[in-house]
Amino acid sequence: MNTRAVASDLLLGLIPIALLVAVWQALVSFGYAPVTLLPPPGRVLARMIEQLETITFQEAIAATLFRLFAGFSIAVVLGVVVGLAAAVNPSINAVVRPIVRVLAPLPKVALYPALLLLVGFGHESKILLVTFDALFPILLSTYYGASTVEQKLIWSAMAAGTPPRQILFKVVLPAASPSILTGCRISLVISCIVVFLAEMITSTDGLGHVLVAAARTFQAVDMFVPLITISLLGLILNGLLELLRTYLLRGFPEA
Amino acid sequence: MMRRAAPFLACLGLLVIWQLASLALNSDSFPTALEAIRAIPTILGDKDSLVNFGASLRRMAIGFAVAVAVSMPLGLLMGRSRVVASFFNPLLMVVYPVPKAALMPIIMLWLGVGDLAKTLVIFLGVSLPVIYHSFEGAKAVEEKMLWSGAAMGLSAAQRMVRIVLPAALPEILTGCRTGLVLALITMITSEMIARQSGAGNILFNALDMGQYDTVFAMIIIVGAMGICLDALFERMRARLVRWSEPQFDIPLSFS
Repeated sequence: MNTRAVASDLLLGLIPIALLVAVWQALVSFGYAPVTLLPPPGRVLARMIEQLETITFQEAIAATLFRLFAGFSIAVVLGVVVGLAAAVNPSINAVVRPIVRVLAPLPKVALYPALLLLVGFGHESKILLVTFDALFPILLSTYYGASTVEQKLIWSAMAAGTPPRQILFKVVLPAASPSILTGCRISLVISCIVVFLAEMITSTDGLGHVLVAAARTFQAVDMFVPLITISLLGLILNGLLELLRTYLLRGFPEA
Repeated sequence: MMRRAAPFLACLGLLVIWQLASLALNSDSFPTALEAIRAIPTILGDKDSLVNFGASLRRMAIGFAVAVAVSMPLGLLMGRSRVVASFFNPLLMVVYPVPKAALMPIIMLWLGVGDLAKTLVIFLGVSLPVIYHSFEGAKAVEEKMLWSGAAMGLSAAQRMVRIVLPAALPEILTGCRTGLVLALITMITSEMIARQSGAGNILFNALDMGQYDTVFAMIIIVGAMGICLDALFERMRARLVRWSEPQFDIPLSFS
């Protein structure tokens, strides 16, 4: 695709977003929605910039990011290790498969009360919830990626005298990495969503708490700010992961 | 035989681990699996809670059905037309990392705590994966089939219904399956935020009142709901698209 087509596509894509903001503004300007319920977009933006400069809001973002990364990292490590093990070893597969089958469709938010009772109201319960939710997409895509590695690649590595243990790291893991990274991308967005929800349920800090605190005092403007912030965070993290992906997969034909 | 029994064995294994863990920890807030299971009949026998479950399921069914009815055509159109795709893609990308259930406090301000707000949140949660998978499915339809259809005198609308829809059906159903899990999750979360009726209401009220065996019994019930709905959907899917092999046989759940 040439650059002009990309540019026109981009313009076309901006239309609905602009339209949404325009409808939002119009609803307020023409008095269909009271300002207390639906603050105008300009005011939300101004409030957001104002909030971003305050220490308390920055601390809330930091708390949210810490939980997000902690939970997500545990999920990545656990998911890749278990996924690889299940793909390589049939007896591990026989154990992991039914357990994943039962646990994957479970609504994990429902587990949150149990986590609260078990590990308390601090960071741990939120991190664990993020881990639970982020784990399965990574585990499944790792398993899928690793079990569809071309057999010829493994045979050639064996013919070249690579010991079996090294085949895992030198052949299977790299070959599965596009699939693993796709799983990571799904999980990252899930982590953003889940950490926010967990903070909304019980928390004294973090972006979710900011939203709940605003909701309790009916400050509509302050309710929009954390929501927009978490979406922006999601977009930025997604972009960063995309950069990492193009760097890691630079040798792959199509990624 | 072994394949069918494996998920049940996994459930049983998880319950046994739970039982042993709670016996080892011996804490008031962590009842044993047997105690939790014993609390299930009292919940299911109670008329109030049955009404709550009914309300939950009704909202979920309506939200899910409307979301599929709207998102599937949109996704298919996006997959077949580049203009439509570039029109909607950026908007969907921005909306994707927004935690849908976190919109609940704001939507509650506008629509109240009733059914409408909760159904709307479920609708929002379900539509994105369905749009995404329909889009991917429609994009992957073989051009040659469309050309043959056009050569045989099918109009654009007929081609859409008779060629694109069946060809994309396996992918669409994958999206619906993800959507189903999501609907359950958003249902629980929305009811947790607007504590008025529903299964989430029972769960989190029990948590607040310290009725720990009810909490754990509810977790089992909600989990069983997720697994049963997923299994039912899988049955239906297997009938509808007997000709295609599922890519993942386990849904990727989102929040």
